Amino acid sequence: MNLKVTDIKQYIYCPRIIYFLYICPVSKKTTYKMESGKVEHMVLDKLEERRTLKRYRLAEGERVFHTYLESERIGLQGKLDMHIVVDKQYYPVEYKFTERSASLNHKYQLVSYAMLLEDYYRCTVRNGLLYLVPKNEIIPVEITPNAREFVYEIIDKIRQIIRSERVPERQRKVNKCRDCEYRRFCGDIDIWTKERVDKCIF
Amino acid sequence: MYFLNEIERKMFLKKMLPKARVLDVDDELRGWNWHQPPLAPAYEERLAVYEVSNTYCSTHRDLYVRRVLKTRINPNYFMISGKAFHQIVVSVIEHAKKLIYFHGPTPQGRLTSALRQAFEISWPSEVNMLTEEQKNDLTNKGKCLAEYEQGRILARVEEVLTQQPYIGADALVHLTVPVVCEHKLDGRFLGLSQYLSADAFMMSDPMVMDIKFGSPRKFHRLSTTGYALAMEALYEMPVNLGCICYGEFKNGQLIVNRDMHLIDDELRQWFIESRDEKMRMIYEEIDPGLADDCQETCPAYEECH
Ligand code: SF4
Repeated sequence: MNLKVTDIKQYIYCPRIIYFLYICPVSKKTTYKMESGKVEHMVLDKLEERRTLKRYRLAEGERVFHTYLESERIGLQGKLDMHIVVDKQYYPVEYKFTERSASLNHKYQLVSYAMLLEDYYRCTVRNGLLYLVPKNEIIPVEITPNAREFVYEIIDKIRQIIRSERVPERQRKVNKCRDCEYRRFCGDIDIWTKERVDKCIF
Repeated sequence: MYFLNEIERKMFLKKMLPKARVLDVDDELRGWNWHQPPLAPAYEERLAVYEVSNTYCSTHRDLYVRRVLKTRINPNYFMISGKAFHQIVVSVIEHAKKLIYFHGPTPQGRLTSALRQAFEISWPSEVNMLTEEQKNDLTNKGKCLAEYEQGRILARVEEVLTQQPYIGADALVHLTVPVVCEHKLDGRFLGLSQYLSADAFMMSDPMVMDIKFGSPRKFHRLSTTGYALAMEALYEMPVNLGCICYGEFKNGQLIVNRDMHLIDDELRQWFIESRDEKMRMIYEEIDPGLADDCQETCPAYEECH
């Protein structure tokens, strides 16, 4: 069974989400944030079609939208927002509708797409781009050997959670729990107070 | 051991340094964010950097034996020789610095002939635990290492003196031996020991350095990562480069290889995960079980079997 690229993103956000997705599926409500995200995506697609590539610091190239990518070899599948093709060079682009800066889960999601794109085109992808839509900012991400290896390790860890059917450790960042769609399914989350997290050990 | 050769310098200047300058490390993985997760330690144990990084035992039972069962582990030959070699490198460098300050750069002959004199090695007390044969082997290798180290410093001193005839002693030390050995760091911010000691910090090429004698292993890079994080926590400046200097003795000759690397997001995450996993093992007293590839040379072998 192939994992989804979004699983990588979710695992980094919190490994416990994998448990809720695969072992003990729970029905979570579609939040306003998710709904408005879909609409924003569609609007952005339309806009992107008409724009130049200047914002990506590329002179010219072809934009390809929503390519479904799958690789048995890597064990991953997913749909990439967009990629740019310039003279046999390929740049995966992920849109992010976050007011904050790009985070690690976004980075490894992009690296995963880059790896899938490599299998798709039989090429080497050296750079990907994160497009932070609200800030109108493009963040280039280098696809390094270490980052690729890290993705493989995450895939292994996700499989381990699925195989062992054990609830993984919860996320240690209180803010993440606060924003998490699965929060109400985490029985032990109340005891995880800010004071305990912030306790500095000397 | 620490000084890069011509090819490595080229690699450093053209590849590593430019990359390190633009390296985009996630802010939550910078040492100065030690006060919040994921860097904030979740347990009250304090670990040495080598305890976090060593993965010679795949289940980490060696750490469990030492820290939970509190069994004293006798060092094996590799540990003793490693300690001795480290000590030799540090002493040669310190000795050279002392000589430069003592004799000063002029007249040149006095300093260079002092630097040329054979270096007297003082061995760590653990050497007495070795067999005669092992002792002899260690003595030969130690001499070879000291000569190599001395030779490289001497060459650098001569080179600088021919370029800078009016140089003072302090500047000469800085240009020829720009390295702080056994750099002491307080790692408590990160749940590490208060008495960390990075093998070296190279000031001219801002890099944390570590020496290893034995075959290269991937987890060795965790040592430089741990020290880099501790430095960032203490000094609030980015430390993006690490270098492991590998020494190997073959047919009475020293072979040196260096692994320069970026201390990137992945290494930092690996280090933190390993720290958390090991701290939890100690705090919760979880016996991780035997590894399935135990070597008889493992210092915890007797306790485990
Ligand atoms: S609530 Fe917290 S611990 Fe539970 S799944 Fe979400 S992020 Fe993880």
